[in-house]
Amino acid sequence: METRVRRVLLTAAALLALPGCATIQHWRNHRAEVRAARAEVRAEAAQAQSPDGASSTEIPPPAVRPEVERRRARAAKIKSSNFEIGAHFGVISIEDFGSHPTYGVDLAYHVTEDFFLRAELGRATAGRTSFETLGGNIQLLTEGERKFTYYDLGVGYNFLPGEAFLGRRHAMTSSFYVLAGVGGTQFGGDKKFTVNVGGGYQILPLDWLAVRLGVEDHLFQTNLLGAEKLTNNLEAVLGTTVFF
Amino acid sequence: MRRSPICLLLLLVLALAPTLSHARAHAHVRVSVQTPYLELRTGPGRGYPVFNVVPRGQSVEILFQRTNWLKVRTPRGVEGWASDRDMEQTTLSDGSTLDLHIGTRAGYTSHRFELGAFAGVWGGASLISTYGSLSFNSQLALEGSVGEFFGRYTNGVTADIGLSHVIVPQWRLSPFLMLGVGLVHTEPKATLVQPANRTEQTAYVGGGLRFYLTRSCFVRAEYKTHVVFTKLDRNEVEDEWKLGFGVFF
Repeated sequence: METRVRRVLLTAAALLALPGCATIQHWRNHRAEVRAARAEVRAEAAQAQSPDGASSTEIPPPAVRPEVERRRARAAKIKSSNFEIGAHFGVISIEDFGSHPTYGVDLAYHVTEDFFLRAELGRATAGRTSFETLGGNIQLLTEGERKFTYYDLGVGYNFLPGEAFLGRRHAMTSSFYVLAGVGGTQFGGDKKFTVNVGGGYQILPLDWLAVRLGVEDHLFQTNLLGAEKLTNNLEAVLGTTVFF
Repeated sequence: MRRSPICLLLLLVLALAPTLSHARAHAHVRVSVQTPYLELRTGPGRGYPVFNVVPRGQSVEILFQRTNWLKVRTPRGVEGWASDRDMEQTTLSDGSTLDLHIGTRAGYTSHRFELGAFAGVWGGASLISTYGSLSFNSQLALEGSVGEFFGRYTNGVTADIGLSHVIVPQWRLSPFLMLGVGLVHTEPKATLVQPANRTEQTAYVGGGLRFYLTRSCFVRAEYKTHVVFTKLDRNEVEDEWKLGFGVFF
């Protein structure tokens, strides 16, 4: 243990020393530049303010005052619209607990025209297992434990881009997507590591508005009903998102 | 009645949506085409068809940018999508070429913010984590990360804050070192003898590799060794391995 702690401290010292030197060097250079710039500004101000009196004899007034205003080069500011936020509603089939309505929120960041990163948070309420239904008054889970809450972080890929036509005058861009991610699911009084895979179709009626129809599977291991098993929880949703 | 946080988030999203969509009314940048022609596509992607071209000398207004595509409007009111590569050959009114600052290798070397997500292992349990960082210069950054782990006997949440140092930021595959402190909240599962939840302080050192992929995206793999300062006689050591994606701004 002591060796580990010592290693932590030694690495700490080394880590602080390395960037520290670089940062201090950078900071010193920066300070020197700032000082030089201030001195220049002060000299210019003194020159501009000094009247034609005795004190100005040392620095003669400039013969020609340039009337051209200095042009400042500015990088073009273009609004970016790579983030997408929205909500989804649908049906989820919670294995052994029936199909139930689900709803949630999504946030995505589009890295390239093909790839995007997405975070999702959703919730559903599970019903009763067939064992509970047939067994009469048996309750496997409390009401609180029947809340099925899931979140995931994943990577998506857009493919088959195209256009969807509404009559002769309106065309909307569209594409299919697949995605895979990892996340967590809270259900039955426990939290489980969850893998999710899915895909869908989305259209953009406006540049800033997307509507998607998606199917996703949330897979996790559980021993809720006795034996350890992998459960598939399929979800079909209709979602709408806004780009910003 | 207790409102669920997801309901509130949903309401917030629905309330924000019109605001977000209206936030785009501002002055647009105007550029003029210098190449023989500028191709306009129907959507922001190479798969969408070209439906219009803007001839040399004509100007276009840049409405907004999505990934590596820019939505532009011609003086005749035709709107379409042009690629960043084509647009970087247009010029502004003062004759300078358009500099878009869309993620590049130079941005990878030196940037202000990073965000990312990982999957991995924390002390033998499956881990999901996210991180954000604020760079002071191309080498040194302040990083914070939060994660949740799911184990056979224990679940928990971790939060870390610390410094990271990229040794040679110019390299595409670039190693870095990390140092910091954190908290770990563990929730042993109820079937165990000691089911009490615990929150303990940690300190970590670590290192990793990052690899520039494309645009503003990179892959990041890292290892941290955490010393958990427990309330018991001896401290615990937990290893954390993770792999994920990051984007810089």
